[in-house]
Order: sequence, then C-alpha cells, then structure tokens
Amino acid sequence: MAKVVVLGSGIAGHTTAAYLRKWLNKSHQVVVVSPAKYYQFTPSNIWVGVGRMKPEQVRFELEPKYKKWGIDFKQAKAVSIHPEGGEGSDKPYVTIQYVGQGKEGQTETVDYDFLVNATGPQLRFDKTEGLGPEHGNTVSVCNFEHASHAWSELQKVIKKLEAGERQNIVIGIGHPGATCQGAAFEYILNVYHEIDRRGLSDLATITYITNEYEIGDFAMGGAYIRRNGYITPTKIFAESFLAEREIYWIKRAGVKKVEKGKIHYETLSGEFKELPYDFAMLIPAFSGPGMKAFDKNGGDITEKLFKPNGFMVVDADYTKKPYEEWKASDWPETLQNPSYPNIFAPGIAFAPPHTISKPFTSPNGTTIVPAPPRTGMPSGVMGKVTAQNIYEVIKGKAKLDKLRHKASMSKMGAACIVSAGYGMTNGMAATMTVYPIVQDWDKYPEFGRSLTYTMGEPGLAGHWLKWFMHYMFLHKAKGYPFWWLLPE
Amino acid sequence: MEYKKHLRRVTRGYTDFSYAAIPGKTVRFFRRCMIWQAWRWLVLNIKILRIVAFGHS
Repeated sequence: MAKVVVLGSGIAGHTTAAYLRKWLNKSHQVVVVSPAKYYQFTPSNIWVGVGRMKPEQVRFELEPKYKKWGIDFKQAKAVSIHPEGGEGSDKPYVTIQYVGQGKEGQTETVDYDFLVNATGPQLRFDKTEGLGPEHGNTVSVCNFEHASHAWSELQKVIKKLEAGERQNIVIGIGHPGATCQGAAFEYILNVYHEIDRRGLSDLATITYITNEYEIGDFAMGGAYIRRNGYITPTKIFAESFLAEREIYWIKRAGVKKVEKGKIHYETLSGEFKELPYDFAMLIPAFSGPGMKAFDKNGGDITEKLFKPNGFMVVDADYTKKPYEEWKASDWPETLQNPSYPNIFAPGIAFAPPHTISKPFTSPNGTTIVPAPPRTGMPSGVMGKVTAQNIYEVIKGKAKLDKLRHKASMSKMGAACIVSAGYGMTNGMAATMTVYPIVQDWDKYPEFGRSLTYTMGEPGLAGHWLKWFMHYMFLHKAKGYPFWWLLPE
Repeated sequence: MEYKKHLRRVTRGYTDFSYAAIPGKTVRFFRRCMIWQAWRWLVLNIKILRIVAFGHS
C-alpha cells in the first residue's frame, strides 16, 4: 500500500492531496505536512488589503477538513529529505519539525513512497534592507495577516488624506529579481479605487515601481493581444489602465533599500535614485524553504535536489544559454526530480530553467528582471497533474520513467485578472489570458503565443469573473459537492 | 485643487502618460454596459475553460 507525503498546503499541495485522497482508496495513505494552520486563497488577499474582505473570508482551517477527508495532517515544517532512506532501512523519509498541534518543537521522521514538494515561496524580505511589515518599513499583501496589516496602515493614510494632508503612495516590486507583478498591479488599482471613491485622489500621488522592462511585462515577457483591429503589446493595455487613473510608474527599477519615508532604487541605466513615500506595499523576493537533503550515509546531497535559491531541481533543461536560444522545451513537464523520480515539485517549489522575461543588467552589475510567475492557475494545474501521475503509478497504469500526464508552462495557459472595486456594478477589471505562459517561438513564430487565446480585456465582466472565482475556488478547496468538476 | 488638475492636464504631453491610450466615452460605456459585459463574461469563461483544458495532457 502506498504512502504519499505532500509538503505544503497551498494551491499546488492542497490540490494534489485533495485529488489523491479522492482517487485512492483508504488503504493508501496521504499525509500533508505544512506549517500553515489555514488554507488561504491568496489572490483574494488583495481584497483583505483594502478592507473589502475579512481574513476569515479567504481562509479555512486545514486540520478539521483533512480529518474529515482522511488525510493525515501534520502542522510542521519539513527540515530535510532522505531520498535513499537511512541506517537500517532503504525507505525514503523526510524529517519534520512541528510548529503546531501542541507538539511545537518536536521532530519526527515521516517515510514515503512518493514525495510531493509543494512548499511554495519563502517571503525573503531580508533580501532588501528595510523591506517588510515585521522588521522593515513597508507592508505586504502576500498572506492574509500581512494584507490585514496593510489595510490598517492604509486606513491611517486615508485619515490623513481626509484631513487634507498630501500622501505619497508607492506600490510595486521590492527587489530587482522579484515576481508577482500582477498582485502589485491589482493592489495599486484597488488602493486607487478606495481613495478615489472617497473623493481624495487629488491629494494622493500614487506610483507603481517595478523591475519590469516595460509595464505589462507581468514577468512573462509581455504579450501581444488583438485590440480594435490592431495587434498591440500588453504594455499599451497596462499603461492605459494606469494613465486613466493618473497613477505614475517607474519601470526597470530594482529596489535596493527602504528607509522610513524613502525608497532607494537602482535603474537599469545604472542611476541610484530615491522615491519618497508615506505608504509603501512592495513585494519581496521569493526563495525555496531551505530544506537539506542527505544520502543513505548522511552525506549532503542538497545540490542534487535543490538549486541554490532553494527551489527543487526537476526535469527542466538548466543548461546556461543566451536568451535568444531559450526554448519552450527547456521547461519541465512532469516536475520530477531527475535523481529521485518519486519526488515531484509542482507550483512555486520547482526551480525554473530561466526567467521568461529577457534579463537585463545595469552597468553596476545588478540584474533587473522579474522571476517567472508560477502561482494560481498554473500551480493548480501542476498539482492535479502530479496527483494524476502518482495515482496511475500506484495503480500500475504508468511507470515513473514514463508518465502520461504533463504540465509544462510552455504548453499551459494562465488567466490573470486584475480587479479593482467591489460589488456587482462598482468594479472594473483588466482580464489577461495568455496561452502558453512561456512563449513557444517554434509553434507561434510571429508573437510567441496564440492570439486567439492570449487576450486582454478591461471591463466589468472580468470583475465578475474574479468574484465568481473567489467563491468557486474556495468551494473547490473546501471539497464541497462536485468540487472535482471545477477547473483549476 | 482645480488649478492642480489643470496643471496636470497641460503637462500630460510631457510625461509617460502621453504615450498611453486613454479610453473614450464609447469604450467606457461598453466596459460598464451590463448586457455587453454579460456576453463578454460568457466569452471569457469559455476561453479560460479551454485554456485550462489545453494545459493538461
């Protein structure tokens, strides 16, 4: 009987565990190891960050849910992986350290037949001096606690605006190599909406600061879309959204340091500049969780499993080559570790072969380029495909070296809905879909992507869709009736 | 306040804003028109569903 251990309970990990539990009978064991007490639907944190939703509306407790489903939940962080087993046993295992369930600090070993590393990102505020809500000067919307704190700080700014005091608001990317531009873009539109509906937008100077080469790059090298008879880059689409609201932007900027009231950044041309602020929400750099790996004799094999940034090595082509030679086929398909094929890494946990956007370096040697996005929809798809592959291997329908299901980001699409406002009529969204996420210049030589399925559309429809998705994905994550019929 | 608004408008052509397309009245109307947007909601849903289906092989 097989035992599958899933590390992480975010979109990828939760999806994998939920499908495996549904498909496998109870003689097989599914274990989830996660330091998080709650599942959170991260995209809706934006609404928490502007006070439109309470944290309770975007999260639910994992332990009771998993208990009901028959999943063994351990509220712990994974410390090390031992893929060859240890002394006296060849059975692979992971070492975990509890952070909850009344066992705080206790360590335990959990053996496995299949390991799914879906640990998601570590928020590396420490990579930029002065960044972050805990030890720094900025706020964040990366989790519901941060988003809730962001809203309380934003309320102070709104109070000052109401008192007639001018305020500088800066929202964007807090590291030269960070990703999640979509979240920052969505948050800035929501902040604008909240200020504007109170009639205070004339007093606020709102600025978007980003490491993108052009606005609308969204860490995917931008895209081309059909609009009104023209084929236009997403730069036009995204800039239009900002210009319409008189939101300023600074692009090609790598934030280096944040002091109280002052952001220090370097531009791609090598200049060092400062930007004053009263309220700043800047997305930090991400890394893997920093797990170690050991062989049977206790030798350190971390580099066989992880890249230096902590993300897991998978079936990607990591050969160093120039941007012009990057191929869609560089991207992983089954998300298996090449040395230990019973270890999978769906979602943010896998190490991408390279960025999607073209990297640029300033004369001072700072590489300013967004890391590839792997959140939301792609994470869900990768989680489901991982579950399908593991299920088929357990049932003898496939072998680990010949898996049938694939989820390459160069063959998968994504939807990014940047929605501002709240309610049926009082919202506006920029809906962007791309297919595929990573440009495939062999299949689509002209624009790298399908123009039928790559589109950008502003309007109320996208706003409804985002709202609908919030309820639909929480319905799915909670395992309510017919959840498996809902797409990722 | 009105003067500040005016200043922003007259200097717009010398900022990044001058390169960005600003939607006109008709575009803004259709962005909020419930019937048109209901249709677009359906179209977006179908396209996204197809994208999700392509993503699994």
